[in-house]
Amino acid sequence: MILANGTLLDSSQLENVLQHLPDALSATLAGPPLPMQCTLDALVELGHRFTSGFYDSQLSLFPAEMIAQYKSMAASLLTRESLEFRIRTELEDLLDTPIRTLHPPTTGPKLQVHTLPLGVLLHITAGNADGLPAFSVAEGLLTGNINLVKLPSSDNGLSLAILQALLDIAPALAPYLYVFDVPSSDQETIRRLANLSDAVAVWGGDAAIAGVRQSVPPGVRLIEWGHRLGFAYLSGEVSDADLEGLAYHLVSTGQLLCSSCQTIFLDTDRIEDLHAFCQRFLPIWDRAASSLPPGSSIPAQAARTLQRYTFRLESFLPQTAPTSTIQEHRSAFCALFPREDSALELAPFPGSCLVKRLPRDQILPQLRQQKRLLQTAGLVCPDNLRDSFTTLLLRAGVSRVRTARSMSLYLDGENHDGEYPLRRYLRTADVETPSR
Amino acid sequence: MTCFFPIYFAPAEPHLVPRQTANENEKEANSMSARSKLFHWKDPWDHSGSEDLFLQAMKDNLQEQWEHCPEYRSLAQGLDFQPDQLQTMEDLHRLPPLPTLLFKRRKIIAEPHRRIVFRASSSGTTGRASEMGFRAGDLLCALQMGLRIAGFRGLLSSKASHCILLSPKPDGKKAAPRTAWAASLLSPVRSRTYALRQEGAKLIPDIPGTAEALLRYGSGSTPVRIIGFPAFAWFLLQQLESQGERLHLPKGSKLLLGGGWKEFSAQQADKGTFYALAEDRLGLSGPDIAEFFSAVEHPVLFTDCPNRHLHIPIYSRVLIRDANTLEPLPPGQPGIVNLITPMVEGTPVLSILTDDIGILHPAGSCGCGTMDRAPWLELLGRGGISDLKTCAAGAAEAWKGAAL
Repeated sequence: MILANGTLLDSSQLENVLQHLPDALSATLAGPPLPMQCTLDALVELGHRFTSGFYDSQLSLFPAEMIAQYKSMAASLLTRESLEFRIRTELEDLLDTPIRTLHPPTTGPKLQVHTLPLGVLLHITAGNADGLPAFSVAEGLLTGNINLVKLPSSDNGLSLAILQALLDIAPALAPYLYVFDVPSSDQETIRRLANLSDAVAVWGGDAAIAGVRQSVPPGVRLIEWGHRLGFAYLSGEVSDADLEGLAYHLVSTGQLLCSSCQTIFLDTDRIEDLHAFCQRFLPIWDRAASSLPPGSSIPAQAARTLQRYTFRLESFLPQTAPTSTIQEHRSAFCALFPREDSALELAPFPGSCLVKRLPRDQILPQLRQQKRLLQTAGLVCPDNLRDSFTTLLLRAGVSRVRTARSMSLYLDGENHDGEYPLRRYLRTADVETPSR
Repeated sequence: MTCFFPIYFAPAEPHLVPRQTANENEKEANSMSARSKLFHWKDPWDHSGSEDLFLQAMKDNLQEQWEHCPEYRSLAQGLDFQPDQLQTMEDLHRLPPLPTLLFKRRKIIAEPHRRIVFRASSSGTTGRASEMGFRAGDLLCALQMGLRIAGFRGLLSSKASHCILLSPKPDGKKAAPRTAWAASLLSPVRSRTYALRQEGAKLIPDIPGTAEALLRYGSGSTPVRIIGFPAFAWFLLQQLESQGERLHLPKGSKLLLGGGWKEFSAQQADKGTFYALAEDRLGLSGPDIAEFFSAVEHPVLFTDCPNRHLHIPIYSRVLIRDANTLEPLPPGQPGIVNLITPMVEGTPVLSILTDDIGILHPAGSCGCGTMDRAPWLELLGRGGISDLKTCAAGAAEAWKGAAL
């Protein structure tokens, strides 16, 4: 399906839409700018309708578990307070003074500095989070951009439904939104859309981003939201409460998020410490995993049950450690794999974690080697060392430092991989003010 | 022309196979093992008639694994299972069901390894591959079963065909290309065209080139057989549609589908749409389109009936297990698909827990006629991590298959 200027069209209309798109974009850009308040009001109303059950009949197509999750997200993210807080945090003074006058210290004319939308923003989104395209578009609309969207192939229809609902609330947004349900393999269409855009916001893994790079002409800004890795860093005496917090985090996120812990680093250079840690942490993690209520989706239940069952069966077989010569620690539900190196890595599978040595003096040189992947660190250390460890982690390239329990907790105003998206979707222009 | 497969030649009406009498079976089956007798059984949908053989073959296979596969014995003992717990068909659920994931993580092959004459691995399209070992007797069973099922579906022919294989050229141990290639032997082969080529670990499809070959062959009088993954068949049909091409393939042409949608599940077409487009673009319908279901860990061939339901042949039994407790569920309820067969002795795959989610429908519930004496399996999709959405770097690639 295609959503163009508020009209839902069949995919067969693609060529027709693409042919008329340059004129339509020019007409919108030539018109009055899109006020942020218009998008803000629409998003708040959308959140209100979502949580109050207005869309329940349309949502009945989705599993109950997912609807509850969407509603809880809407209730926290789409309130006026939350959105205004985020906008003010990200845009600060730009919000109050979109046009500033500068008086350069050297002789010369005054400068008017304009903060403007990028113009036309193409969103190429990943299918790894439900409704992600709608989320990305909301950021584009808040900053006054025209948004072209390529839906991920695995989109379950939720994104289009949300965007249609948004246009229903605020028809004025219609000229700022074009949604295309084209496959990633249709490089020609993606190239044509990129050619019409001032910037391309791409979400996804390395392969997705590399693919998009090939379609984006030079000069069009590429805004990458790539996949990252999270880790825990433990130093000094660690309490059971801290370990329970880490276990809660591992279990509650299923290790599926960029902020989820994949590797646990210990501030030590002794391999025996890794084993001692595993022996202590494994039962704590196991307890947390066994107390998790079963999900309501059968595939998700099956995944967890089969994983646990396979672990159990493997415990009856002679142990092998294909990638390491050192002992593995397994329980019914979880596995810890001590390793001799200190690289940040993805855990072998959900329900497992790598455990590695990373003495404090190695934090920076070691993590710098994977700076591209760094996102969240769950820091557990004595209070008096917290600041110094935090500084070290930030200097290494980490963009979020949290307690272990809160590694994936969303906090209003937090950055996205070290950046404020709303700021990235704006540009600055200077206009000379001639002296009269 | 001489028929290649005189014993198993297709009946005139593929969905009407005469029931065989007990006497006929007895004469044929003396001095053979229960497994051999089962795979010799003439009617692949006669569950009630072959039940005793199935049970005995399962007991024999269990004994074989117990004695010659120490890993299997360890696993079974770990689950407090002893061979004498398998007495009746109602005890089949007691057999330790081994998850396919276990075979992806560990190589478990029965001894002595010198008796393994053939190795095959799963496609591994969504992660790691399982590796199975087969003995000569296992392959003989596969051959007998393959011919029996193909014969039943009217796929054996003495007339040469052009074969369009929706797979790469067989190279190495991957089961899917080998199976597609073997399926091309159901009739003499005039030519083979491969729609995919293997470049390192990647499969590169050439759908436009394949469509071109199909158009070339489709205008002749030699039957055309299109064999392979439904996803690529769907892409091929879409290619024809986008080119505005509509073929009426020569009489005797077939579309043989198997192997699931794999990583293309997001683009999966519903069956109605698929078959309508196949009829519209290729002129194929009814029994000329056959769908199969099998797995390297459970190489029994299931095929569809006129109602497009996958019926379970006598070589296999299916249990559906609760996704939380793994307890067997009654028919009609969705859960994890557990496949049971005595077919393979080279690898302990007597009872396999797949990552498929399905529903078992009892015999007599389909209404298709002959095959309705066998229950049928409705596949709802795959369970597991590949269905979960992740943004952790590299996880999408690494975890698919690794954790189911």
